[in-house]
Amino acid sequence: MRRSHEPLLWLLFGAGGLLAAWLGPALILFTGILVPIAAERGVTLLGYEAARGLLQGPAGLAAVAVVTLLLFHAAHRIHHTLHDLGLPAGRRTRLGCYGAAVAGGALAAAAVLAL
Amino acid sequence: MSRPRTYRPGMRGWWQRHPAYRRYLLREGTSLFLGGYALWLVAGLLCLAAGEAAYGQWRALQGTPWLFGLHLAALMAACYHAVTWLRLLPLTVPVIRLGGRRPSDRALIRGSWGVSVALSAALWLYLGGGWP
Amino acid sequence: MAGERTITLEVQRFHPEADEAPYLQPYTIPFSEGTSVLEGLQHIKDRLDGSLTFRWSCRMAVCGSCGCMIDGEPALACRAFLRDYAPGPVRVAPLDHLPIRRDLVVDQSDFLAKLERARTYLIPADERTPADGAYRQTPEEMADYYDYAQCINCLLCYAACPQYGWDQAFTGPAVLALVQRYDLDSRDAGKDARRAVVNADTGVWGCTLVGYCSEVCPKGVDPARAINQRKPASVADYLLGWLRPSGGEGTP
Repeated sequence: MRRSHEPLLWLLFGAGGLLAAWLGPALILFTGILVPIAAERGVTLLGYEAARGLLQGPAGLAAVAVVTLLLFHAAHRIHHTLHDLGLPAGRRTRLGCYGAAVAGGALAAAAVLAL
Repeated sequence: MSRPRTYRPGMRGWWQRHPAYRRYLLREGTSLFLGGYALWLVAGLLCLAAGEAAYGQWRALQGTPWLFGLHLAALMAACYHAVTWLRLLPLTVPVIRLGGRRPSDRALIRGSWGVSVALSAALWLYLGGGWP
Repeated sequence: MAGERTITLEVQRFHPEADEAPYLQPYTIPFSEGTSVLEGLQHIKDRLDGSLTFRWSCRMAVCGSCGCMIDGEPALACRAFLRDYAPGPVRVAPLDHLPIRRDLVVDQSDFLAKLERARTYLIPADERTPADGAYRQTPEEMADYYDYAQCINCLLCYAACPQYGWDQAFTGPAVLALVQRYDLDSRDAGKDARRAVVNADTGVWGCTLVGYCSEVCPKGVDPARAINQRKPASVADYLLGWLRPSGGEGTP
């Protein structure tokens, strides 16, 4: 019986899923809902200088980790759901899903390092 | 002895067979919104690194009705994800004993919601500039 | 009989020598408060149509023979009562995801082969004879596996598992729950022998935690828990496999 390499992907998926469950609602509510509503009323939340300041040092690394794990979580579920829906899920979709997560994480890391 | 012919119905439209399957697909489907949101954050980070003008454009896009609506949908997806994830969390906990007893599902679920509240509060304080 | 209640059972029929594909056949039968679906099927076979084929034995949710889809849900026919489906009609079909051999009878050979391959029996650390005395086990040690030991091999969980429906190579809920039942037993030393089955793509990693298997189990086994509580240990085996040449693979 062939041993599975799923454990590694599951570990990343699980970490991302747990983070999404713990932090997801608060994060989305802040960055996606509160920031635009505040801007509408003339209050600047997460402005340019403030955002750069918040992402200095370890916090920037934490942000990269959170974003990357969220991407891995989504990649894993999307890949499995393609299979569940009877769509062709094989090497190519696996490469596409997890590759997008790796690329997204790398871009996030490059952006934070360039701050 | 030859095996008799059998019939296998196949899996076409399997999600139509029971609501439990549709709840499962809904749960898995939240990942589309979570992944999309994460990609949007990556775009935000790239714009932030590119300079003030790019970041300002990203922020302006964020306030358009389309993206605001998508964020509302992502928020609902994240809430559904959190509820289902933390409810199933005890199933993935190995057989362990804390102080001679196995922690109950209730205790594990409540504890993980406690962590969620604490982490969310810390995140808001940090993003709001109130901490440290 | 005056005032007797009746209900229509739409039973899925399939005789491989005559039928290209399954079809539904309606039978209207009398029932009372205490008539089970199984008794309804027996009424049909005894009084209306002797060619109807189905499995049954104990009539009390112990033998696990009479599992079938009742109105789309996997259930034991002896444990489902016609009063709950009145006024009907109620649809009775063979268990989902399994090859149909005849009417309500499914082919169990894949499940039985998996059960054997997974060595779901006690493998003691050393040879013991009755002269060595009884095994000793604390109530806490017994509680670790007791729920999983209630499995009656009825296959309802396989009919509730879309992953098994997609891929019959998946070891599936009941066998993996029974693996966990023996691995968690303090008297057992067979964990290595079962490791290869557990850690494979077709083992615990074939499960995406749909969770419906645990909902339909008539004995409260909770296979979804058995499988998923094993995943962290399988991850540990995988990571240790980089350090050990045998890779936690166990004997095949």
